[in-house]
Amino acid sequence: MDGSGDLAFPALVAARLLLAFAPLPDALKYDQQLSSPLTSYSRLREGIYLFQHGIDPYSGGAFRHSPSLLSLFSTVLPLTPYTSPILWTAADAVAAWALVRIWRLRTGAKETSRDGQIAALYLLNPYIFLPSLALSTSSIESMLCLLAVMFACRGRASAALFALACLVQLSLPAVLLAAPIILLTVTRPVSRLALPQPYHAQWKRIIPLLAEFVGYTALLTFASTVVCGNWLWVEKTWGATLTLPDLTPNPGLWWYFFTEMFDHFRPFFLMVFSVHLLIYIAPLCIKFQHDFLYATFLLLGVQALFKPYPTLSDPGLFLSMFSIFPEIYPYLRHPIVTALIHLHASLLLPLFNSLWLRQGTGNANFFYASTLVFGMGNGAALMDAIWAGLRVAVGELKEGYEVAQE
Amino acid sequence: MNGARNVLAKLKQKLRGQGDPSAAKIRRQRALREKIWKGLPFIKLLLFTVGYIWLLVLPSSQLGQGTYIDENALQPGQVNTYWNWGEVHHADRILEDLEQLRDRNATHDEIARYVVTEFEKYGIPARTQSYSFDTIGGEISGTNAYGVLQAPRASGTEAIVISASWLSRTGEGDGTLNLRGVSTVLALAKYLKKYSLWAKDLVFVISDGYLDGMQAWISTYHGETQPNMRAEPLTLQSGVIWTALNIDYPGHSFSHLGIFFEGLNGRLPNQDLMNSVSLISRYTVHVPTLVYDHIDPREDRSQPDLLPAWLPEPFKHNRDVQEYASRAKNIYRHMNYQARGAASGVHGLFHQFRIDAITLFAVPATGPHGFHALGRILESSLRTCNNLLERLHASFFFYLLVAPGTFMKIGSYLPSAILVGTAMLFTGLGEWVKAGWTISPAGVPSSEGVQSEKAKPKDDKRKWQRRHRPVLEPVAIMVLTHILGVVLFLLISTSWFAANQKIAGPITYILFTAIPFMASAFVPRAPSSHASIPSVLKAFNLCFTSAIISITSVLNFSLAATLAVFLGLPLTLASPPPSSSPLSARVAKYAAYSILALGWLVLCPEETRKAIWNWEVLRVWFAPFVCVVYVPLVMQAGLVCLLPS
Repeated sequence: MDGSGDLAFPALVAARLLLAFAPLPDALKYDQQLSSPLTSYSRLREGIYLFQHGIDPYSGGAFRHSPSLLSLFSTVLPLTPYTSPILWTAADAVAAWALVRIWRLRTGAKETSRDGQIAALYLLNPYIFLPSLALSTSSIESMLCLLAVMFACRGRASAALFALACLVQLSLPAVLLAAPIILLTVTRPVSRLALPQPYHAQWKRIIPLLAEFVGYTALLTFASTVVCGNWLWVEKTWGATLTLPDLTPNPGLWWYFFTEMFDHFRPFFLMVFSVHLLIYIAPLCIKFQHDFLYATFLLLGVQALFKPYPTLSDPGLFLSMFSIFPEIYPYLRHPIVTALIHLHASLLLPLFNSLWLRQGTGNANFFYASTLVFGMGNGAALMDAIWAGLRVAVGELKEGYEVAQE
Repeated sequence: MNGARNVLAKLKQKLRGQGDPSAAKIRRQRALREKIWKGLPFIKLLLFTVGYIWLLVLPSSQLGQGTYIDENALQPGQVNTYWNWGEVHHADRILEDLEQLRDRNATHDEIARYVVTEFEKYGIPARTQSYSFDTIGGEISGTNAYGVLQAPRASGTEAIVISASWLSRTGEGDGTLNLRGVSTVLALAKYLKKYSLWAKDLVFVISDGYLDGMQAWISTYHGETQPNMRAEPLTLQSGVIWTALNIDYPGHSFSHLGIFFEGLNGRLPNQDLMNSVSLISRYTVHVPTLVYDHIDPREDRSQPDLLPAWLPEPFKHNRDVQEYASRAKNIYRHMNYQARGAASGVHGLFHQFRIDAITLFAVPATGPHGFHALGRILESSLRTCNNLLERLHASFFFYLLVAPGTFMKIGSYLPSAILVGTAMLFTGLGEWVKAGWTISPAGVPSSEGVQSEKAKPKDDKRKWQRRHRPVLEPVAIMVLTHILGVVLFLLISTSWFAANQKIAGPITYILFTAIPFMASAFVPRAPSSHASIPSVLKAFNLCFTSAIISITSVLNFSLAATLAVFLGLPLTLASPPPSSSPLSARVAKYAAYSILALGWLVLCPEETRKAIWNWEVLRVWFAPFVCVVYVPLVMQAGLVCLLPS
């Protein structure tokens, strides 16, 4: 790393730490775009309080965090007004560091001039630092996700799978990432987008890894059950992502749909929405079998778009990961349109939320419309990333030629 | 089956043309792209023209529709009113007392204590609340008085506020006293106490000053604190306030009832409330209603003519032209309040807490109406509010009230600003595309960029070539100008600025014009093979402005329309100068933009002072918006003209 990069990272983290301790309005912690019922800080505090007073936090409807967070924050790392901002900034710093490591592993270089830029694009991305200021546990999920990818890039299978198993404890949809991350551990993370080659599956290596992942998940699940003393937590945490019991508005696409739906259609559409998330894994992993890091990136984009309880962190993670794939930039078809949709969406989301819930002059449809714009922005980014990722392989075109999509 | 397939295949062939479908698709896309690119100037022109014409057509008599009551529970005007001359006599007695207090220059405390004593006489618990605001122009203090009449029929979880401020809204609080308004509220309190039909608590508030007293009272009521406000806590509590009526009766008698409705930050009350009051006023009590205090010269010959004198006679007598002039006057006044985020009366302070409120303004005249008519209007209106089962929600929250009884829905006025915004968006995107391509002379192979895909087969001599567009530099310039805007705002909200505004205004103007000018010398020049920084800056500036206009339009249409007028053409016309243009020409253009951006510092000191007062005391975000959003956007356009390409 050159001199400026050396300084850039600590400076960025220091700036973020200052921001975390800045006197910000308390309303941020209750903002529906920054924390969902599954990641809200105030609900976490309430759960810990109940737990420490001998009441099962999962017997009510408010607490939906994983028991691992419960045990972690009620014993080793107590949450106080002083520790929490430090913990959350540290989570973001670790995530940014992991992202820089992924970039270095991808280029094969020890230090590059873009290191500082990549860290800045993560730490200063408003979609990432705002949820972190609101102390939403989605920041911790992003960190675990990037750690899992980073270890997978390094070929450290056990660490990667353990990080992924922890992530699945916090957020069930992350299980979608198991396939590309396992495949990433057995391949190399260097960019092969320009030179696609068929991948010959090494089942002998993959199956034990899959078993290891299942083993870690089982272990953590067992530990959680021991912590809670019963199985109630499964329904309250993992079950929530499948049955959507809490319809608090969020920037995702699920809540409004299920608010409006008649009850007898609910189970069917819950199944459709959940299964729909699964159908992307195989096609993306097959199409990008030469570059599983890219497949992981795209699946993160799919999750950010279609997850049941997203916060701004999820699209933020996807967008910040664009920084480690500079080879696709010349082939993006409509980056400025995507950027403009995101600009509009990020202004409309808080505005329509307050028109509906604070000023009272709007209604739920206003906010829903803004989440649709936001979904369009994320969808445009995802589609463009898929196109550009495939288009790289064709390379520069000769005079009079053009690439078409069949 | 087979036949059907054949037919389908033929149809497909006919639609898609012969040959490879992909090739056809590419051809189609190219043709479309070329058409859009060629038509872009025309599309832009069309959008701008339609947008601006739409803005001009808003007052036309062809637009708009009649107001109506949407909430069935309201049932306005369905009750008998019993307010009578006995109550009028009582109001007159109170007025005499108030006049005495005025004549001996009674203090705020004395007046408030008098009001509390009156309330207690009627058996209504009442208290005073003293408050003070620290502003950069000095301290404002006063004492409010309020009484709470518990609902005899319900638990008191909901409340209606009936208020009058000590100062009338005449001249936006120029010091005219609202003595008759205060007497009306007090007389009404005594009268309403007699009835047992109230399902909501009635809260009577006599606020001191014009806006400051109510701001202290209403924010304390909702437990809000403000760093520069000190206010006594309220010892009498009531429930959630749903509606509020503010009474303003400055004259001796009145001829019309004017309705004022704009709240802080451009929030409007639900239309059902004003429609009910105006219905009751017109049909139960036979008092004509007005939008604001605009008496139509067509009704009253003594009013000044709205149409300019130079207009030919036939136009002056044309009904449509007269209607246009009268509606334009209303819309202009509305935009003036809404765009500045200012409240048009004390009612505007309620809106921030989701309370629908209006001011009933008794337009001063020699007759024929007085306490008798106003009391009946209020009694009937309160009965209507009392009927509500939930908050007002059915009718419109976004509207333009163009005439008494006529309004425009959001769909009929919103597109005007949005179209101007869209035109700017298209201009910005066009600039972005233009910045990315350059024509290179034939035979010189380029070292940079991807080979053109757009090469025209017809013209072999010249080739379109892609070039690199700098992104980080223009974004950095934009961020820095907005940071400079924050600094500007912090500067003008200091007490130093307020104390020496005459000198400080021009100094600030020169300073903030000079800083970007000096800083522009440090902006690096892009290599000649790259797109120039000002061209990309212009693209981003236009796209960002268009986003601001379209998004503000939903929140505050008047502000968006004002931005569309002030920013639309000026920002579009800013163009990077040719590299040969002399420095003086560029500086002249930059200076012109700096006047558009910061001229208000010198030209409208009074407006500036008011905007800062509104921010300090009432938290109206117009002043910060102008400094942090508007000024930087115009300065960016100035920099587009200034920076060497």
